[in-house]
Amino acid sequence: MAKREYAQLQETLYSERLDNGLEVHVLPKPGFTKTYAVFQTRYGSVDNHFRPPGGQPIRVPDGIAHFLEHKMFEEPEGDVFARFASQGASANAYTSFDRTVYLFSATRSVDANLTTLLDFVQHPYFTDENVEKEKGIIIQEINMYQDNPDWRVYYGLIGALYRNHPVHIDIAGTAESVRSITKEMLYDCYRTFYHPSNMSLFVVGGVDPEATLALVRANQADKSFGPGGDIVRLFDVEPMQIRQALIETKLPVSLPKCLFGFKEEPVAADGEAAVRRELAIKVALDALLSGSSPLYQALYDDNLISDGFGFEYNTGPGYAFSVIGGDTRDPQEMVERISAALEESAARGLDPDTFERTRRKKIGAYLRMLNSPEAIAGEFTRYRNKGADLFELIGVYESLTLEEANARLREHVHPQRRAVSVVRGDSA
Amino acid sequence: MTERFERGALGRMRLHVLPTKRFKTFAISLFAGVPLTESRVTSVALTPFVLRRGTERYPETIAFRERLDELYGAGFGFDLYKRGDYQIVHFKLDIVGDRFVSSSEPLLQEALRFLGEAVTAPVLEDGAFRRRYVEAEKTTVRKRIEAIVNDKIRYASERCVEEMCRDEPYRLPAIGRKEDLDGITAPSLYERYREWLGQAALDLYVSGDTSLDEVSRLAAAAFRLPDGQPAEYRRPRLRRAAGEPRTVVERLDVGQGKLNMGMRAGALYGEPEYPALLVYNGLLGGFPHSKLFMNVREKASLAYYASSRLDGHKGLITIQSGIEIGNFERAVGIIREQLDAMRRGEFGEDDLNRTKAMLASQVRELQDSAFERIAFDFNAVLSGIDQTGEDLIAGVEAVTPEDVVQAASGVELDTIYFLRDRKGEA
Repeated sequence: MAKREYAQLQETLYSERLDNGLEVHVLPKPGFTKTYAVFQTRYGSVDNHFRPPGGQPIRVPDGIAHFLEHKMFEEPEGDVFARFASQGASANAYTSFDRTVYLFSATRSVDANLTTLLDFVQHPYFTDENVEKEKGIIIQEINMYQDNPDWRVYYGLIGALYRNHPVHIDIAGTAESVRSITKEMLYDCYRTFYHPSNMSLFVVGGVDPEATLALVRANQADKSFGPGGDIVRLFDVEPMQIRQALIETKLPVSLPKCLFGFKEEPVAADGEAAVRRELAIKVALDALLSGSSPLYQALYDDNLISDGFGFEYNTGPGYAFSVIGGDTRDPQEMVERISAALEESAARGLDPDTFERTRRKKIGAYLRMLNSPEAIAGEFTRYRNKGADLFELIGVYESLTLEEANARLREHVHPQRRAVSVVRGDSA
Repeated sequence: MTERFERGALGRMRLHVLPTKRFKTFAISLFAGVPLTESRVTSVALTPFVLRRGTERYPETIAFRERLDELYGAGFGFDLYKRGDYQIVHFKLDIVGDRFVSSSEPLLQEALRFLGEAVTAPVLEDGAFRRRYVEAEKTTVRKRIEAIVNDKIRYASERCVEEMCRDEPYRLPAIGRKEDLDGITAPSLYERYREWLGQAALDLYVSGDTSLDEVSRLAAAAFRLPDGQPAEYRRPRLRRAAGEPRTVVERLDVGQGKLNMGMRAGALYGEPEYPALLVYNGLLGGFPHSKLFMNVREKASLAYYASSRLDGHKGLITIQSGIEIGNFERAVGIIREQLDAMRRGEFGEDDLNRTKAMLASQVRELQDSAFERIAFDFNAVLSGIDQTGEDLIAGVEAVTPEDVVQAASGVELDTIYFLRDRKGEA
């Protein structure tokens, strides 16, 4: 068991890689009532074409990682939620582009709940009947998102940016792809991606690290897994061109919704280098687009954006893009004004005072995030998948330079790699 | 043992301070509540939008926001909501604790000064709010009101409550009404704002590495409030459902139908019967093991979500589900069967115990978030009771199956609201 102390943050992390390859991390939070545990696999919606260890390449229907997540909660003796509830824990799960996460939070019976979490995720139980039954539920989930304009404008943008990379595919798939899923396909995916060597466990809260690790070790030692091995994820080559410059969707909305973003050239970086790239562009975008920027205020004064305006930067295996926008009376004018300002700033460089103020703001936001065990668990595993350490981000922020931010801005803002997604009603 | 709130008062404002070192930040909340009324709901809603534009010290919005960035990106914002028959403006500010950063300024002092000035020392011109800010924020509020329909789940939920409470102040949306906006001017809004400051029940909460003495001293310097005594909240009067449930169908361009059902409950937060009502709602639709999830979703595969929500301050329970449009009658039938089953006491001891364990855990979990502890404590203030989390857990644990049946007998279905597509429209 390795122990790492982060003096500035007043946090201590305990870590161990078990014999079966499972990575376990425990972050004790003395005085906290709740314990929060996250069990994740590096398997998400983009993993639709792969070669299992020692096997032949397989292509699986869109939405299968998410379908698998739904089905994990069913066991021969019934629903796992009920078992967690008997132990006073609330459980949940989610699937993103590149991972599937199972979690619980509990204030009592932490050992029993941890055992339940490990056991249900490591025990698939799929039958023709229970797979069939789930389809109706997931199709209603898909229909719910189809009616949601925020969701439609967001995925519309990714679809306009990417031609081949599966990041442009809906995480839940389509009604058609979901209907084609069988229990055999689910088992194939399960065996490939749910091997302990592709997974990690993170526990945070009022726990004793030694005892928690001992429990996990014993639980895993009682189970046998195959040898594991390398999973090869197969991605078609993604051209640098976008798929289409503008995508428009009709849906009843009070004002058009418009998001645009730039697609970045993928860079093979991991660990601190990847994190520096991510934080540098995030600081640069924040400096230019946040509520305290002159650009934001000018657009707001001209009624081109509303207070729901936002921006983000999203990166994972083989993809990296920004998302900028919100509700606007005039999508084209909003996009052109912001693009022009971004291009100008990229050419001229950020104002040094603004850069410093933004850095300070991001450090504050990072420290505030560390109040939340849920956020720590989610972010720790996300950065861990990139080979980085969440608790070292403060050092990266502190050492970030204006030159790095400017370089990243120049790299990112590329008019030919810009796409725009608009959702508007018939009359708008 | 968890920390306790220390209480004090500063003129019209009650003070509640939670000294703790468990968090990396100071969490600050200011609740300002006035009775919901048609005549002022929109001006009250508009007020915080204008207050966030600038103060005497930082009259320009950019400078006002840059100040927050300098304070290590202090998070400042507000929420508007209804609690009972009150319209509450909840200002929130959280800021990093001094021990984590090397700041030259005492951060709690600066944070309270910022909040106090934002709420009580706005930038003025000609003795009123700055006209440009009022006009811009009227547009923002109008856009927010118009945007409610974009989110069909939220829209259907608000429409159901509006229909159910159509002859009560509770029908009014906390964000205000579009038709009132045109009539609001900078001077009229400023006049309303001064009245609001003079009448609202004000509760200031601070959690962090501090004390009641320190907060009292800092708040006295930061807030410029009219003199007087703190105002009290009163519980609303419970209503009964009016006979047979009323069905309201509305048509919009939607793919999925949204089914919402509104019910009147027989008890309010803080009353002795409330824990039984909480358990009732948990068994019915609060959790994945509840009747609605199990029967509408898991058994019938009709929906992705099917749940119920208890509003203890108003005494309402609402059910919400997203379904295939053709399944409306079937879904209503299944849901009404669950309500009948609850009335007949048809629920297992296992499910009762699960529900209690989940409710107790939810209350315990609050201890780990400063803002959630504050919100829980404010519920007690609103209800005029003195209640800790432990008290509520003890109440839940003592609930018997008979108590749940008793609570069920007080739950009456009032309104069935269905948002559907336009196909086959007359």
